[in-house]
Amino acid sequence: MQIIENSKVKEKLYIEKLENGLTIMIIPKKGIQKKYVIWGTNYGSNDSKFIVPGEEQVTEVPKGVAHFLEHKMFEQESGVNSLDTLTALGVEANAYTTNDHTAYLFECTENFYPALDELMDYVQHPYFTDENVEKEKGIIGQEIMMYDDYPEWKVYLNTLEAMYHNHPVKLDITGTIETISHIDKEILYKCYNTFYNPSNMAMVVCGDFEPEQLLQEIKNRLIDKKANGEIKRIYPEEEESIVKEKIEQKMDVSEPLFTIGIKDKIVNEKEKVKKHIAIEILLSIIIGKSSKLYQDLYNEGILFTTPSLDYEFGAGYSHILITGQSKLPEKVYEKFKNTINEIKQKGIDKEEFERTKKTIYGSYVREFNEAGEIARMFLSDFFKVINSFDYLEEIPIINENYVEQILKEVFKEEKMVISVIKK
Amino acid sequence: MKYTEKEIKKGIKIHIIENEKFKTNLVAVFLSMPITRENVTKNSLLSAVLRRGSMNMPTSTDINKQLEEMYGASFDNGLDKTGDNDILKFYMETINDNFIPQNDENMLKTSVEKLLEIVFNPLIKNEKFNDEYVQQEKDNIKRIIEGKADNKARYAFDRCIEEMYKNKPYGLYKYGYIEDLESLDAKNLYEYYQKMISECKIDIFVSGKLDQNTLNIIENNENIQKLNDREVKIINGIEKKEKVEEKEVIEEMDVTQGKVVIGMDLDLKNEEQKYDALLYNAILGGSASSKMFQEVREKASLAYTASSSYVRYKSNIFIRCGIEIKNYKKAIEIIKKQLEDMKNGIFTDEDIENAKKGIISSIKSIDDEQDTEITYFFGQELTNNKITLEEYIKKIQNISKENIIKIANDAQINTIYFLKNKEL
Repeated sequence: MQIIENSKVKEKLYIEKLENGLTIMIIPKKGIQKKYVIWGTNYGSNDSKFIVPGEEQVTEVPKGVAHFLEHKMFEQESGVNSLDTLTALGVEANAYTTNDHTAYLFECTENFYPALDELMDYVQHPYFTDENVEKEKGIIGQEIMMYDDYPEWKVYLNTLEAMYHNHPVKLDITGTIETISHIDKEILYKCYNTFYNPSNMAMVVCGDFEPEQLLQEIKNRLIDKKANGEIKRIYPEEEESIVKEKIEQKMDVSEPLFTIGIKDKIVNEKEKVKKHIAIEILLSIIIGKSSKLYQDLYNEGILFTTPSLDYEFGAGYSHILITGQSKLPEKVYEKFKNTINEIKQKGIDKEEFERTKKTIYGSYVREFNEAGEIARMFLSDFFKVINSFDYLEEIPIINENYVEQILKEVFKEEKMVISVIKK
Repeated sequence: MKYTEKEIKKGIKIHIIENEKFKTNLVAVFLSMPITRENVTKNSLLSAVLRRGSMNMPTSTDINKQLEEMYGASFDNGLDKTGDNDILKFYMETINDNFIPQNDENMLKTSVEKLLEIVFNPLIKNEKFNDEYVQQEKDNIKRIIEGKADNKARYAFDRCIEEMYKNKPYGLYKYGYIEDLESLDAKNLYEYYQKMISECKIDIFVSGKLDQNTLNIIENNENIQKLNDREVKIINGIEKKEKVEEKEVIEEMDVTQGKVVIGMDLDLKNEEQKYDALLYNAILGGSASSKMFQEVREKASLAYTASSSYVRYKSNIFIRCGIEIKNYKKAIEIIKKQLEDMKNGIFTDEDIENAKKGIISSIKSIDDEQDTEITYFFGQELTNNKITLEEYIKKIQNISKENIIKIANDAQINTIYFLKNKEL
């Protein structure tokens, strides 16, 4: 296996791409009890239009198939649900779906290999029937309705709605009750066969392991499957402009919830880690905990908790999100824009810049504390073609000029939207 | 992992957890006292005022800049209602000196000092807190209280507890009451702080890659030196449960999905039964192979979330699920059937073994996370019941089916709470 060592957090990544195209990553951690494994496919809610390798025509499936598949993968022909088998082994198993990937995981202290048997067995052996597909619609329907009661989720989706004209990132990961009603077992098999090919998948393991030996154990559990060709994913044309600046919805909340969004251009391959860090630095300087803007808003009673600051990007989309709760979201928005203009004119304060870099460096180091967090991070970065260690290497060398350039390029008023949920 | 504790003054304990496997050191201070209607609002406000500034770091900006200089040390504080006690919690986490590029300072020492400074040396002028901070935080606490119903699932849970513990300490809302906020000001809040800090139980935890000196740093800290001995008045022990009539409470709000919370009383006779109850809960609704998940979600397809949780400090189990409003009766029927099955021993040895494995695995990984580990030791400190992780595992292994059936028969529904839509 190839070994990539990071001197800053003193950790090693063992990585190998197998002949069938599957990538295995192992991060050994001496002395910890917990073992964590996650197996993912580069297939998420955004991938509903594609060309199956070897075919010519475009396949389009209802929204919500990736998430539906995630639910149904646990079902086995024997009638036993794999989640039960794993739970019976005393391991904690779960799965999740994002915009760009689906992942199956478990964590345990004992029974790692029996549980790995089960995980690798169920992910490689789908079993869908008309009956079990119909039954799942009731459960997922309740999941969709649960999210309907979360104002935090609605304010997020509305922000994307205001930013994107066509890109599927703006749609609910679960699909809607209407779209999932069209899902049947044929659709599930077709998507499974397309996207659950080893060449489209990666596995990450973190725990106290001897990497080469673990790699062999994983190989022994793989069924014979050849790498397929490239899956062509089709995303609709997306203009650079936003759809509308303001979007509002009424829900029963004591104080309005808001998200300010900034739509960004699609990130260039080489630059993404550096740009991600620059945006984190900027957000912290503009409206982070120790910023003047946050302190002013806090003292005036306009904000009473720090907003959460995020930068999300993937195939065909990239945006910044600032989410919080405030009596006066419009005021926050206005002052946010003013602060950006001030910083654009005056430049970034040197001392503040260095302090923020330290903070962000510390936050990256901390992400290497817990096995699950490490494994999830490596998987999700891998599907974005990033090695998670890169963040630690890039941050010390990032400079003010670059950050100021990003401020000018990305933080543009005509790209900003605000979504509000209020009573 | 090596755990040691030292009572440095009566009612004040230092707990040292040496562990080499983390990138971080974590320091925590817990102030504990019985929860009362009189003090709950004061504690809530106090917790918010203390994080605003100390004598040497008078503004939030000073605190935050300091934290950022320490490679983004994180400071956090909050409130917890643990049984009939109110706990003020303060945490500071820093990265370990080994992972700092220029190794020029003792980060652990700095973080211990800064945290103690925030808790024990608040910003005081003319015998009172800063007026402006108190005013602003009163406003913020009011907003938190008003926002109680924003998260509907959480709200349903809080409401069920309130109904079960009407006019009792555990029924109090941890953020307090708007009508009790009015009379608080910078002066009387400071008077309360002085009294509270001289009477509460104090526990200081340090976890991480530590040296011999850690204990000395805390013991010799001037803010610690000025504290006096105190009589600890924590409430623990097993609560006696009375037979009650099953109560149904239905509330209407603007929700898409109905939220059911069922509060159950467990009439336990001794400490050992607390372990049995843990297992009972795991089989009933603690995992994906539990009765709740299997019957309510997988078989009846009624819910996405269907689970139960065990509150050890109060001998309660809470069953929670989110359902379509029209299925309420059906869901209750299925849930009650599960409770009956538990009483009649309709669960297999395999169910027991599986539940044990799950619990044991989580016990084993307690020391893989610093805050979990601190919470574990603090829980033991509060209940005055110290066992090692190995002993804990052994106790779980020794539980028999009869023990679990006994719990099932000593469990009764106290309150069924249902939050539903207005139109129906």
